[in-house]
Amino acid sequence: MIKMDKVCKSFAAGRIKAVQDADFEVSKGEVICVIGPSGSGKSTLIRCINGLETPDSGEVFIDGQKLDFGNLKKQIPLIMRMGFVFQHFNLFPHMTVLDNLTLGPIQAQKKDPEAAKKIARDLLKRVGLEDKLDSYPAQLSGGQKQRVAIARALAQEPEVLLFDEPTSALDPEMIGEVLEVMLELAKSGMTLVVVTHEMGFAREVATRVVFMDQGKILEIGTPQEIFDHPKSERLQDFLSKVIRA
Amino acid sequence: MTIALIQKIMTPENIEFMLKGAGYSLVIAFCALIGGSILGLLAAAAKLSRIKIFKVIANIYCEVFRGTPMLLQIMLLYLAGPVITKTFMGFVYTPNPYIIGAIAIAINSGAYETELFRSVIQAVDKGQWEAAHTTGLTYIQTMRYVILPQAFRRVIPPFINEFIVLIKDSSLLSTIGAIELLRSAQILTSNYYNFFVPYTAAAIMYLIVTMTISNIARGVERRLAESD
Repeated sequence: MIKMDKVCKSFAAGRIKAVQDADFEVSKGEVICVIGPSGSGKSTLIRCINGLETPDSGEVFIDGQKLDFGNLKKQIPLIMRMGFVFQHFNLFPHMTVLDNLTLGPIQAQKKDPEAAKKIARDLLKRVGLEDKLDSYPAQLSGGQKQRVAIARALAQEPEVLLFDEPTSALDPEMIGEVLEVMLELAKSGMTLVVVTHEMGFAREVATRVVFMDQGKILEIGTPQEIFDHPKSERLQDFLSKVIRA
Repeated sequence: MTIALIQKIMTPENIEFMLKGAGYSLVIAFCALIGGSILGLLAAAAKLSRIKIFKVIANIYCEVFRGTPMLLQIMLLYLAGPVITKTFMGFVYTPNPYIIGAIAIAINSGAYETELFRSVIQAVDKGQWEAAHTTGLTYIQTMRYVILPQAFRRVIPPFINEFIVLIKDSSLLSTIGAIELLRSAQILTSNYYNFFVPYTAAAIMYLIVTMTISNIARGVERRLAESD
């Protein structure tokens, strides 16, 4: 349902090649984890999927429809099929949790406010925060904020959720509660693309794992292939550093 | 001797005369602030937009009105206005110094407020734009529901400060015959051949007004800081 075709993106006038010739496909129901060292282009890759970054070249297809980066305004319905969860949550600080969840559905999708609120309440229940409806983001812990952010992404009823290092900005003791929500989503059959440093999560939950280094996708495979039988030297080296016995 | 002089000049009628002038100063400054903020908001939006011609117009506006003296702008608008209408539209009107004055100050203030609004809008975290993008909001919706409400909180303290500046700037209208606070003091000086008492009284009145407002601003700032 997502297809990237030779996507390239560079920064600083071409001096930093963040993503080079990225080809990859995500099918419905898959859980893709993108791993790799910092600065390897993982985040840029996932941000290209929904137009947060405009690729220099290459194409992105959503359900066979080409994403027209030159005219993102017209692409809103397409972009809304993908929920996005940020590393730093990016909740709207001046709105209550409930309003955070209903703003997009009411304004962008023109949903009935009552229906949007009902969906929002159900989603907050799903992430275990039904008692935080009227709280403001500043009153929540990091883990709670990220769970609200996941619920917000789900509120637009997307077909796929994109996660950009969802646990990297959290205190260690809060990572678990967020991963639990993501695990539950994966089990429910939701399509997920997750940029992560959580190797345990990637190994257990992913259907496929993508390894990136210096802007290039070096290996794509099942968790067994990637973690137990890494082919490239670079991946072997990376795994030996991040996974301690 | 001084006390006798004060008693002689600051009669209840004269105090009332000056208070009325102070009232005009306040009203002119307030109207200019509101008019200026509308202009400033529009020009800030133009400056931040991707459309080049809007940017150019907003930049010219800011440069021209920040780069020339406000007194000159007031005189131009007040004195040249009727000439322009006579030349191009064939009629002459008698400009009202209060209205023309408030408009001139509003246009000038708008140029400064443009930068004020632009800076608070740009100070909103980039992640807010990104989150709005992923939730499907258009540019206008993002501005209205996400960016401006956050920018608004930050703009309140400098905005109140701008009000104080405008109260002082409104004294420039004394040159075109608007009887605001400074002009009312001037009239008393010529009536009584005394500069000291009326001008000092005007200074005290300006101070009372500006200090009251800056105290309010400080209170608002504290409340905003608490709720963050």
